[in-house]
Amino acid sequence: MTKEESIQQELIKNFNFLEDKIRIPKERRIFVDVSADKFEEVLKFLKEKIGFDTLCTITGLDEGATLGMIYHLTRQDGIVINIKISVPKDDPKIKTIIGYFPAAEYYEREVVDLLGAKVEGLPEGSRYPLPDGWPDGQYPLRKDWKSDMLEKEDK
Amino acid sequence: MTVIEKLVTWARVKSPWIIHFNSGACNGCDIEILAALTPKFDLERFGVLLKGTPRHADVLICSGPVTRQTKDRLIRIYEQMPEPKFVVAVGTCACSGGVFDGCYNILGGINSVIPVSAYIPGCAASPQAIIDGVVKLLGSLKGK
Amino acid sequence: MDKVVIPVGPQHPALKEPESFRVILEGEKIVGVTLRLGYNHRGIEKACEERTYIQDLYLIERVCGICSHSHSTCFVQAVETIAGVEVPKRALYIRTLVGELERIHSHLLWLGVAGHEIGFDTLFMYSWRDREIVMDILADLTGNRVNYGINTYGGVKRDISKEQLQKILKAMDTLEERTKYYIQVATEEITLMKRLSNVGRLPKADVETLDAVGPVARASGVDRDVRRDDPYAAYNEVSFKVITVNNEDVYGRTLVRVGELMESYSIIRQIISNMPDGPISVKVPRKIPEGEAFSRYEAPRGEDVHYVKSNGSDKPERVKVRAPTLANVKAMLKMLENYNLADLPIIVAAIDPCFSCTDRAISIKKLDTGSSEIMDWKSLRQYSIEWYKRKGIKF
Repeated sequence: MTKEESIQQELIKNFNFLEDKIRIPKERRIFVDVSADKFEEVLKFLKEKIGFDTLCTITGLDEGATLGMIYHLTRQDGIVINIKISVPKDDPKIKTIIGYFPAAEYYEREVVDLLGAKVEGLPEGSRYPLPDGWPDGQYPLRKDWKSDMLEKEDK
Repeated sequence: MTVIEKLVTWARVKSPWIIHFNSGACNGCDIEILAALTPKFDLERFGVLLKGTPRHADVLICSGPVTRQTKDRLIRIYEQMPEPKFVVAVGTCACSGGVFDGCYNILGGINSVIPVSAYIPGCAASPQAIIDGVVKLLGSLKGK
Repeated sequence: MDKVVIPVGPQHPALKEPESFRVILEGEKIVGVTLRLGYNHRGIEKACEERTYIQDLYLIERVCGICSHSHSTCFVQAVETIAGVEVPKRALYIRTLVGELERIHSHLLWLGVAGHEIGFDTLFMYSWRDREIVMDILADLTGNRVNYGINTYGGVKRDISKEQLQKILKAMDTLEERTKYYIQVATEEITLMKRLSNVGRLPKADVETLDAVGPVARASGVDRDVRRDDPYAAYNEVSFKVITVNNEDVYGRTLVRVGELMESYSIIRQIISNMPDGPISVKVPRKIPEGEAFSRYEAPRGEDVHYVKSNGSDKPERVKVRAPTLANVKAMLKMLENYNLADLPIIVAAIDPCFSCTDRAISIKKLDTGSSEIMDWKSLRQYSIEWYKRKGIKF
């Protein structure tokens, strides 16, 4: 059994709802789909018991009716696990993971600014990466938002 | 031209003081601007001195397309420079927005915000092109 | 949809400088720092979705001009994984060669910039003069000094001749001699060691908590390098050391980068002597089948990651780029705590930051006097050089 397969077995053993939600497309890459309410316990397990102690980044996706969040974690031996959750677009609430990964702060702010996610528990701080004065409710990375929607400034 | 005017022009042409500003670039042109100051290309033999403050500068060397966040800073720096002042747009992005034209946080090239005296295209503009552009600008000043 | 107008400006005399760093001082010591990022936010990820994969090749290269090959290769690897193509060996070797040449130019650049930040301008001039050797090679190999454009989906665009390989080998010998001199300076020049040691300490535990990457992590004893841990291109066929030291300070970061230069020369020699023959690319369809991939690359500044999701068309569904500097920002803010304001320029320079290199404005608030002022980067650098001159450290 490869290392990736044994991680898959461990996950299914502890969380049987992950039974057919785990894909191993190539060596050192695992993709998992988790429902948002079970995410934190899976994350905690992966960090504390399987050794995925480094966060690479968080990718936000516009999936139409939902917003997807992919959390990319790595391990010392080079294996990357990509955990995806989905939340409804009209109420995109997710909990911060800075308690487990302080580095998540900038990645979560990015998802708030560019996709309009609501991250509960994020501390006070300046926005990233959009400029001050960017109008509320405009989320550039959403599919229905086009780059030419902004009028160019007058000279 | 009066004697004073001739003297002042000679001083400006022979020793332009420059200030460098990056208004949202990928840093490619910035490192070529810095490379132009190093021994192999040596912009300083033209009397060019890199200054820290716009109040002492004759020429603003600008790289990068203008992002929304840097627009005010760029205008401010331009306004702090004493007359007569010149702006050199280094790199394709500074000339026209380059490969980032159309991106939502980009306003365009430098000339969408402040008037530009010389355009040096290239991605990245090579140090030779930068020197050529600066020398051409100085040459055009002689006639003024 | 309606057009949206964003109200920014007009320029007003009372408008504040957009400060990036906000520093709170108690006496001379930094007790708090916050950073406002985003000046270089150009909207690349969105633009990628609106352009074809071929156009995105050129766009992604320009995320950063210093590590452009890193971003380009990382992206191309992700797309090739989704498309399921096997890149020919020779192309992988050429990619690795250009990647290591990029690492050399970047580390020499850093050496010069670090020297400049502490007032050691001779080092700046020497290292950038040596860097020109690499720039000439890159221009000869790829046609450009910056933004090489050597990658295409399925391989590389240009082949290398035997003469070019010989030229590179000669250049590696010259650079190795010069780098040995820099190592000597770094390890024997007392002034330099005094200036850089015990500055910007970042303990190993903080590196691990804050997920720092690259030379910053390796200077604190964290043995992490994507080339070895998650090999890509031709790295599983070359042998090299991952340079790790335990100094935890700016001096350690200097040692790591100079050590990596030596390793790069060795890797390049191995690549050249083992360069396989064969094609330099395979055909990849214009429309990439549905799928997703996560690609990693050890850029000179650390781990660069790209996530690409495709939807079966000729434009990507989603492209996510996380450059190494963003991963090191939190670590950098931690490193500044309890150091002097005069140490700020070199501590920031030591993470080799890839945000806008010029005119970062710094707002300084002094707790004991209650006053605040705004300093631009060049003034702060001058202040820092003068501060250390008064302590007898000057170059």
